[in-house]
Amino acid sequence: MKDIPARTSKAPAAPPSRVSRSRRRRLLRGWGFLAPLLVLNVLVVVGPSIATIYYSFTDWSGLGPATFVGLANYTRAFGDPRLREALLHNGIWFVLFLSVPSAMGLLGAYLLSRIHRFQMLFRAIYFIPYVVASVVNAAVWKMLLSPTNGIGHLLGEWGVPGIGDVAFLGNPATSLLSVNFVVNWHWWGFLAVIFFAAMQGVDPQLYDAAKVDGATEWQQFKAVTIPGIRPTLVFLSLMTVIWSLKAFDYIFIMTQGGPAGSSELVSTLMYKVAFSDYEAGYAAALGLSMALVTAAVLVVYQYLRKKGWEE
Amino acid sequence: MTTTTPINRRTILTGAGLTALGLAVPSILSGCSSSGAPAGGAGTGSGTGTVKLWMDIVGDANQKYFNESVIGAFSKAKPTINVMTTYYQGGDLRRLIQTALQARSGPDIVRGPSATQTLAWSKANVLADLSGYSEKWGWSDKLSSWAMQAFTTDNKLYALPMRVDTMLLYFNKTLFADKGWKQPTNREELESLAAEAHGQGIMPFGSSNVDWKAASEWLMTIFWNHYSGPEAIYQALTGQAKFTDPVFVEAVQLLKSYFDKGWIAGGADKYFSVPSQELGASFGKGKIAMIPQGGWFMSQVGQYFGSAAKNSNEWDWMAIPTLRPEVAYPLYEIGIGGSLSINQASKNKDAAAEFLNWYYSDRKAALQRMAHTPSTYNIPIDFADSEIPSTIDPRSGRVLTSLNKAVATGDYGYVTWTWWPPKSDVYVYTGLDEVLTGKTTAAAYCAQLAKTFEAEKAAGTIPQLMKRGPAK
Repeated sequence: MKDIPARTSKAPAAPPSRVSRSRRRRLLRGWGFLAPLLVLNVLVVVGPSIATIYYSFTDWSGLGPATFVGLANYTRAFGDPRLREALLHNGIWFVLFLSVPSAMGLLGAYLLSRIHRFQMLFRAIYFIPYVVASVVNAAVWKMLLSPTNGIGHLLGEWGVPGIGDVAFLGNPATSLLSVNFVVNWHWWGFLAVIFFAAMQGVDPQLYDAAKVDGATEWQQFKAVTIPGIRPTLVFLSLMTVIWSLKAFDYIFIMTQGGPAGSSELVSTLMYKVAFSDYEAGYAAALGLSMALVTAAVLVVYQYLRKKGWEE
Repeated sequence: MTTTTPINRRTILTGAGLTALGLAVPSILSGCSSSGAPAGGAGTGSGTGTVKLWMDIVGDANQKYFNESVIGAFSKAKPTINVMTTYYQGGDLRRLIQTALQARSGPDIVRGPSATQTLAWSKANVLADLSGYSEKWGWSDKLSSWAMQAFTTDNKLYALPMRVDTMLLYFNKTLFADKGWKQPTNREELESLAAEAHGQGIMPFGSSNVDWKAASEWLMTIFWNHYSGPEAIYQALTGQAKFTDPVFVEAVQLLKSYFDKGWIAGGADKYFSVPSQELGASFGKGKIAMIPQGGWFMSQVGQYFGSAAKNSNEWDWMAIPTLRPEVAYPLYEIGIGGSLSINQASKNKDAAAEFLNWYYSDRKAALQRMAHTPSTYNIPIDFADSEIPSTIDPRSGRVLTSLNKAVATGDYGYVTWTWWPPKSDVYVYTGLDEVLTGKTTAAAYCAQLAKTFEAEKAAGTIPQLMKRGPAK
C-alpha cells in the first residue's frame, strides 16, 4: 500500500517579512475602521469625563474660572441633607422600578404566551406607551393627575370616595409614587414584550415533561419559565439599576423634584445644583459619585456572571 | 476693536466640562464647543452683518409681532444688519444661553434672566461691557436711572433692562359686581372678602407654581413688600437689618396661614399641582375671585375672558392691599424682568449694540409697542403720562401711569428677582415651598435666607439697589 502523505492544516509558512507586513496592514485596517468611533468617544466621553473629574475638585460655578478645593465637594456631599433625601428617593424609585414593571411584564408575557388570537394586537398595545416620547407621556399624565380636572376628579364626581380632589403631584406624600407609577406604566409593556420574546426560546419539551410530572401552571412558570429566561431577567435587572440611577425626564417634567424636594432624585438635584445654584463643581462631584455607584453595580454583575448566576 | 485669543487649556477644559455635565445629568444636552473667541471689550464702532438673538417669546401671534414690529422695523431702519432670531421656551433658554456663554459661543445678543441672575453671568465675565456704547449713545439719559443702576456693577454696565415688572391683584370684575364686593385696600378688607368668597365656594386667590417653579417668589415679593414694607426690605438688603427680623418672619407666616385656610389656590397641594391654564379658566368663569400676578400676566389674562373663553365676564386689576397699617397704599414693588446684553465672545458686538441702541432709543416705537402688547414691551424709559398712545388698553395704560407715579413719589417696593442676590433669590422660592409643605418653619426659612444673603453680600454678588425716596 502506498503511503499517503499526511495532510497538514497549516499553510506553508511565509517568509517573516511578508507576515509582519500583512499583519501590520490588517492592524492598520482595523484601527482605521475604529478611528472615527474612537475619536468620537474621546471627544464626548473621555474628554468630558476627565473634565468632570477635574471640576469635581473645584468650586466651579459653571461660569468663569474654577479654584481647586480638594475633596471639599465630596465631604460636603456626605453631609448634604438634600443629597441624603434624594438618595433615599432613588432607593425607593429603584425598588419600585425593579419590582412593579418586572412583575407586570412577566405576567403580561405569560398571558401573551397563552393566547394566539389578537396576540399581535396586545403586544402592540403593551408597547405603545414605551414608543411615545417621555415628554408627551409626562405632559399627558400631568393633566390626568390634576386634582381639578384629572382622573381623580372625574372619579370623585362619579361618587368614588376619597379621591375627588387628591393632588397626587402636589402632595409630598404621593408625588414620588405618582411619577413612579407613570414611569412604570410606560415601562412594563416593553418588559412584557422582551420577556415574551425570551419565553419563546424556552424548550417546549420542558413544559411537556413538567406536565407529565403533574406540575401546575404556577409550578411550570416557576420551574421552567423563570429559569429559562434567567439571562434576560438578570440583564434587565442590571439595566434597571442603571436606569433608575439616571432617571430624570419624567421627574423633571412632572414635578421638577417638588414639592419641596419630595420627588427629588440625585439626577434632578444635580441639575438644580449646576444650573440654579451655580455650583457646577459640586454637581460634577455628585455626578461622578453616581457614576462610581453604577460602575460598582457593573462590577457586581460581571462577578455574578462569572460565577454562573446567569446560567 | 476685537482681539483673538488662541485655544488654551482652560478653554478646552471648560468646553469639555460643560459637555461632561450634559452627560452626567441625564437628558441635559450641554452641546458646547470651544472656539477662538474674541476676548476684548465692547467696541463703539458701527456694525454691519448678521447678529444672532435667542428669545423666549411663546406663541405664533407673539412671535409674529416680534418678527414684524421689532426685527422687521429694525431691518428697515438698519438694512445693513441682519438679526437672526431663534425662539426657545423660557426655562430652556436660560440654560442654553448659560451653557453657550461659558463655551464662548451662543447668540450675539443675550436675552438674560432678571438682573440678579444676569449679575452672576456678568461676574463670570461672559457678558461684554456696555459702558462704551452707553456713553456713545447716551443710554443713561434715555433709560430710567434706577433700572440702569440695577445692571451696573463695578462701574460696568453689563446689560440693559428689558421689562419693568410689578405685582398686581387681578380680579374678576363681573364677579365683584355681581356679589357687590368692593376692591379691598387693607388687610382687614382683604381677609373679610377672602373669607366671604371662600364661604361661598369661590376660591379667593388663584395661584400655581406648576408651570413656573419660581412663582413662589411672586407671593413672597407681595407679602414682604406689603407686610414687612419696602423700608424694612431696603434695610435688610443694605445690611442694616436682617431677614430674621420678626417683620419678615411674620410675613411668611401670614402667607402660610392664607394657604392653610385654603384661600390661596385651595391649599398648598393644589398650588403645587393645578396648572396655571386651569386656574386661568376658573378665573374667567368666576370660580376664582382674584389672582396675584405680575404685570406680564396682562398679556395672557384676556384669553380667559369674553367671547374667546365663551363667557361674558370682564377682568381688571387693583393695587395689592396693604397688609400692615405702617405700609403705604398704593405701593408698587418694582423690578426688571429680563435683560438684553452682548455676548463677550460675539464677533459682531458693534452690530449687536446697534440693535440695542435702536430698540431703546426710538421712544415713539417703544411706546407704540407698549400700547400694542400689554406689559411685554414695557422697557424702563422715562415718559410723561400724556405720551402714552391713546390706543392703549386703559388697564394697561393705568399700569404705566401708576408706576410712573410710584417712582416719582417713592411709593415703590422691591421684587426679589431683581434686587436679591442670585442664590438668595433661588432660595426665596425653593425655601418657601418647604415652608408651605411644613418641611421647615417660617423662622428657619428666614434664618437660612439671611445666611445665604450674607454670604453673597460679602462676596459682592448683589445688584445695586435703588435708594428710598423719589427716583427717576
